[in-house]
Amino acid sequence: MISAVGLSKAYGSTRAVDDLSFEVRSGVVTGFLGPNGSGKSTTMRMVMGLDRPTAGSVTINGVGYHDLRWPLREVGALLEAKAVHPGRSAYAHLLSLAQTNDIPRSRVDDVLTMVGLDGVSRRKAGKFSLGMSQRLGIASALLGDPGVLLFDEPINGLDPEGILWVRNLLKSLAAEGRTVFVSSHLMSEMAQTATDLVVIGRGRLISDTSVEDFIVSNTESTVLVRTPETERLQGVLAAAGLRVAPGPDGGLVVTGATAVQVGEAAHAAGVMLHELSPQQASLEEVFMDMTSDMVDYHGLAPDAPSDGVPAGAPTGAGAEVAR
Amino acid sequence: MTTIAPTRVTSLPEPRGRRAGLQGALASEWTKLRTVRSTWICLAIIVVAGVGLSALVLSIEAGRWAHLAAGERALFDPVRSSQTGLFLAEFVVGVLGALVVTSEYGTGAMRTTLASVPHRTSVLIAKLLVVGAVVLVVAEVTAFASFFVGQAVLLGQGGTSLPAGSTLIDQVHAANVPVYGIGHPGALRAVFFGGLYLVLLTFLACAIGFILRHTAGSISTYVGVLLVLPLIVSILPSSFANSFEKYLPSNLGLGMTAVTTRTTDFAGTLLTPWVAAGVLAAYAVLASLLAGWLLVRRDA
Repeated sequence: MISAVGLSKAYGSTRAVDDLSFEVRSGVVTGFLGPNGSGKSTTMRMVMGLDRPTAGSVTINGVGYHDLRWPLREVGALLEAKAVHPGRSAYAHLLSLAQTNDIPRSRVDDVLTMVGLDGVSRRKAGKFSLGMSQRLGIASALLGDPGVLLFDEPINGLDPEGILWVRNLLKSLAAEGRTVFVSSHLMSEMAQTATDLVVIGRGRLISDTSVEDFIVSNTESTVLVRTPETERLQGVLAAAGLRVAPGPDGGLVVTGATAVQVGEAAHAAGVMLHELSPQQASLEEVFMDMTSDMVDYHGLAPDAPSDGVPAGAPTGAGAEVAR
Repeated sequence: MTTIAPTRVTSLPEPRGRRAGLQGALASEWTKLRTVRSTWICLAIIVVAGVGLSALVLSIEAGRWAHLAAGERALFDPVRSSQTGLFLAEFVVGVLGALVVTSEYGTGAMRTTLASVPHRTSVLIAKLLVVGAVVLVVAEVTAFASFFVGQAVLLGQGGTSLPAGSTLIDQVHAANVPVYGIGHPGALRAVFFGGLYLVLLTFLACAIGFILRHTAGSISTYVGVLLVLPLIVSILPSSFANSFEKYLPSNLGLGMTAVTTRTTDFAGTLLTPWVAAGVLAAYAVLASLLAGWLLVRRDA
C-alpha cells in the first residue's frame, strides 16, 4: 500500500505537487493520471525517496522509503526506461542492482526471461530499442520480487504487442496481491488496465476513485437521434422539456434524457427516426474535460483562429483539430 | 504482530545482513566499473603511457648526457623522469573518476542507484573505494614498472649507478648517465607516491562529479584545476604567486615524486613529499565531504 498525506513539492515559486493525499491499495492496478507536466513523475520520485517533499509525507506499507531495509525487495520502480549506461549489458546492469540488495544472481536470469530479453542480455543496453529498454526497466522493477510496483509511463514507445503484454503483466502482478501504481497521460490506456484511479492536474488531486465511479460521476448521459425531419423533431423535443443541440452529421444530441423518453416523444408526434442511440462518454473525453483547464502546455492548432484573422476566414478545420 | 496486507510469499532467499548498505554497494560498484569499456581503455592508457614514456624519455636523456651542461646534469632525476607518464595519467584518472559518477547522472541511472541504496553516503563511499582501489593497483604497478623499465633503458645505454654516499657534485661529474636503484634514498617513496598521487586525484575527480553531476562540466573543472590554475598563478606577481604555487595539485604531485627536495631544484617552490601528500589528501577529503553533504541534501 502506498499512502500520501499532504504531499507537496515546490521548485521556487512553482508548486509541482500541491497538497496531494491519496492511497493506493494492493491487489488492483491503480492508474495515476494527469496531463504532461502535472506532477506525476515528481510524485513518483518522492515515493521512491529520491526527491524530498517540501511538505507532507508518503509511506510504503506504513514506512518511509529511507527506512526500508531492503528497498528493492519491497518496492520496484520503472522511472525512466533509458536510465542505463549505454555501454553496459542488460545482464550486468541488473546484476549490479541485485548485488545492492543481496538478490541472487539466478534471479537476474529469471527476470530477463520474464520480460523476454534473455536472448539479448549480453548486448549493450545502448543498442536497445525504446521498447526493449522499457522491458529492461520492467525487469529491474521486478528484480527483488517486490510487493509494491511503480511504473512511470510504461507503455511509451511500445508496439501494440508490447502494450498488450504490459497490460496483462500489470493485471497479473496485481492479481498476485501486489500494489501496482501506473502513471499515464493516456486515459484510454488506463480505462483498459486500471481498477482505481488517482487523477491530478497541476499537482493537485482531481479525483481518487474507481474507474467506473469516475465515469459515472463525471458524465451526463446523452442520446443521439437522427431523423429526416430534424427541425420538427428539435421543436418536439424542446416542447417536451428536453435539452437538444445539433449533433454530428445533421443529427441531434439530447442531454439528460433516456432513449425511451426521446423515442416516445418522437412517436407521439409522429416523427420518423433513422437512429436512436444512447451515448456513453469515453473515459478519454471525461478526462479531457476535467483537465482542459489544467494543462500547462496547450498545442496551437495549425490554423487556429486568432486575433487579426479577417472575419469570415475558414476556421472550421482548425477548430476541429483543436478539439 | 498483525499484518494488514495479504502476505505474499517470495521465492527469493532471505537477505544476509541488516540492511542494504556499504557491502552491497561495493559489489555493485565493482560490477558497474568492470562492465564498461571506458574503464579498461583508461587503465590501458595509464599503463602504456607510463611505461612507454619512461623508456622514451630516459632513452633520450641517456643519449644527451655527454652534451649536458652542469646545471642540467644536476637537475637530472632518473626517478622523476621514469614517472613522466604521470603528466598524461593525471588527466586519464580525472576522466575515469568523473565518469564513474557523471555517467550515471547523464543517463538517470543515479536514481536507480540511490533507490537501491537509500543510505546515500554508502553509495559515495563505495564509489570512492572501488575506483580508488582499482586505480591504486594499476597506478602502483605502472609506477614500479615504469621505474624499472626506465632504469633498464639507462643501463642498456651505458648508465652506471653512483656509489653510495654520492653527492649532486658527483652526479654532475659522472662520465656515464647515472642510474638509481630502488634502494636509492627517496626512490622507493617517490615511485610509490607517483601511484598514490593518481589515487588522490581520482578521489578529487569523483567528488567533483558528485558536486557538478555533469560529465563535461566535471572534466573541464578538473582539467582547469590541474592545467589552467597553474597558468593563472604563473602570471601573478611572483612574490604573490610563490606562496600559492606549491599548493596547486600539479605541484603537489611534483613534490610527492621528487627524490629529494634539493636546493638546486625548485628552490622553496615545492612542499616536501609527505607534506605534499598530506595537503593533496586533505583536498580529496574536503571535496568528498562537500560531495557527500550535497548528495544527501539534494534531490536526486
